[in-house]
Amino acid sequence: MTSEANTLRPGARRAPQLPTALADLLRNRKKLKNELLEQPNLLSTRIAILGGSTTTEVKSMLELFLLAQGIKPTFYESGYNRYYEDVLFENQDLWNFKPDIVLVHTTWHNVSHFPELMETESEVEQRIDHEMTRFRSLWEKIHSELGAVIIQNNFDMPRLRPLGNLEASQPFGRANFLMRLNAEFANYSHTHSRFFINDIHYLSAQVGLTEWFGNSYWYSFHMALSPTATVALARNVAAIVKSIYGKSKKCLVLDLDNTLWGGVIGDDGLQNLILGKDHAVGEAFLDFQRYVKNLQRRGIILAVCSKNDPENAKEGLSHPDSILKLEDFAAFKANWNPKPGNIREIAEELNIGLDSLVFVDDNPAERAFVAEQLPEVAVPDVGSDVSMYAEILEREQYFEMDKLVEEDLNRAAFYSSNAQRKGAESSFKNYGEFLASLEMTAEIGPFAPVYLERITQLINKTNQFNLTTRRYTSAEVEAVAQDPSFVTLYGRLTDKFGDNGLVTVLIGHVVGEAVEIDVWLMSCRVLNREMELAMFDALIEQCQARGIHRVVGTYVPSKKNGMVAKHYGTLGFTRVDTASGGPDVWNFAVPQTYSAKTRHIRRTTETVLAAAGEEPVAVSSGV
Amino acid sequence: MTRNEFLLQIDDILGLQPGTLRGDEKLEELENWDSTSLITFIALADSNAGVAVSPAQVVNCTTVADLLRVARVENHSN
Repeated sequence: MTSEANTLRPGARRAPQLPTALADLLRNRKKLKNELLEQPNLLSTRIAILGGSTTTEVKSMLELFLLAQGIKPTFYESGYNRYYEDVLFENQDLWNFKPDIVLVHTTWHNVSHFPELMETESEVEQRIDHEMTRFRSLWEKIHSELGAVIIQNNFDMPRLRPLGNLEASQPFGRANFLMRLNAEFANYSHTHSRFFINDIHYLSAQVGLTEWFGNSYWYSFHMALSPTATVALARNVAAIVKSIYGKSKKCLVLDLDNTLWGGVIGDDGLQNLILGKDHAVGEAFLDFQRYVKNLQRRGIILAVCSKNDPENAKEGLSHPDSILKLEDFAAFKANWNPKPGNIREIAEELNIGLDSLVFVDDNPAERAFVAEQLPEVAVPDVGSDVSMYAEILEREQYFEMDKLVEEDLNRAAFYSSNAQRKGAESSFKNYGEFLASLEMTAEIGPFAPVYLERITQLINKTNQFNLTTRRYTSAEVEAVAQDPSFVTLYGRLTDKFGDNGLVTVLIGHVVGEAVEIDVWLMSCRVLNREMELAMFDALIEQCQARGIHRVVGTYVPSKKNGMVAKHYGTLGFTRVDTASGGPDVWNFAVPQTYSAKTRHIRRTTETVLAAAGEEPVAVSSGV
Repeated sequence: MTRNEFLLQIDDILGLQPGTLRGDEKLEELENWDSTSLITFIALADSNAGVAVSPAQVVNCTTVADLLRVARVENHSN
């Protein structure tokens, strides 16, 4: 047992958990709120709730669920059913509030005109156009004038069906009409990166329409959602907000015996494991593996943490029915050491924070031990019934994603390639020889529209190699990309093991003859690969091309970015005297002749804008 | 659930010290009695007393004792 595993770091404390019983949640909400507000390092955000119905309860519950995610909201609430007028007529209170996020809380009650009986397809089509025009004008004004991210409810279904089953099948049926509107909302979200659907169509089905809507709540208070439904909605919106701020989990750490298969591989042997369609419980394990595999396909990193001999553990994954294979796991800890220590090592190997991990184990003692020792790690109480594991993981919405971009799909491959890279590292005489063997190529250039989503995602998710931890909304990223008073650079890195994707971002503000670096960050998966040097080389080229004589770097210490405290010093910057307790400020004089610092990365020929607004200039560089 | 136990729960909903409410208080004079506490009261009546109370019933209540009556809480102290 390692001493590290047994030592709880001072100050580390698990955030209070929200009760699952509705009455407990409602009754204790004030106490829970006060407890949650005591958490350190809460992230602040400003949310405007524009309601098509009464939103007091929505606000109250949303506040709790956001605090439980480490996000402290400040709210603006529109008047009852003023969601449209507040925006279109520019309510000054809303404008002065300057929301980061606008939640448009509408339901089927807010559809202005449902089709009349026997209306033709073209008449119904006109009604859809009319509704969409109304909502589009709302969304576009929010985006263009408030600059806020939008979370928009799609539509739930009315509980009553005067047309019976024809409601769903006939174009003039209300259910049919609402489903078509939902499809139109979804289409809008495909083409607008700062627009997110809060899927209350699904939530109402999950809760059940009888529970979702209560006549008495509607007639007494014009609440379109029952208290049960409000909790489901708040949980879902909080998950979306969490993903927007990059606080979703990244890695699923799994036990093996009785978690991924039934039985104990070391005792029962491969042939006696319960896994496969010929056994009721075996099929449930198979389905859980399929669920995990689907998470991995969309970018969730998988790791094993099992008390087993390593060879036995690996043998289990060679079971002919096993959907998960050894190569699906980016980290593999099978030994007899305490699990908290192993999990800490997994986080270190993968270069991700402990707060990015979710640990699933059928053994309640192991769960309790990990939960106590590593409060940052999410440890759901999955029980011991495998058929419920996926349900419980789903309920917590650990892995909610705001957008799915190509880098997400390739992430699992990145990490298994990283394992290969680490294997290769040990066979070289020195690190330089290893880097040379990777045959790395970098593409570095100013922000391009095709990369803006990924750039925004990186800015809002990167914590460790991040000099300032300043977050930008999509609108702000778009704005600096077009603003000639900013220098913007992204970097992609490929090597002989694969494409690492877009891994680094730099934003500098040009002030006179200096550029002040506001954002410089890099994914830790390319740490110690000279990519930061390649970015610096590109920045200096930009400075030389634009007549910038000085680079000003700022390091703002955070709980997680200690690794870059000496970054500017290492690059040759000189530290400026600053007030104690303030950020570190560093200066670098741009030389007339500059020797590239990168030794082992070849830069592709890319287009570099000498200055925004000028014709692109082809630049060829490399080593 | 006894009358006293339920009163303690309403104390809790309103953020009052346990034992503050006695039953004869007017709801409109209680600082924290609002739509949020009203809805919490309904959930409490449902889960703890097993009584489905409608919002309309609660809106018509004027005193804490009225709340106990719609929640059909026994009128004894133990």
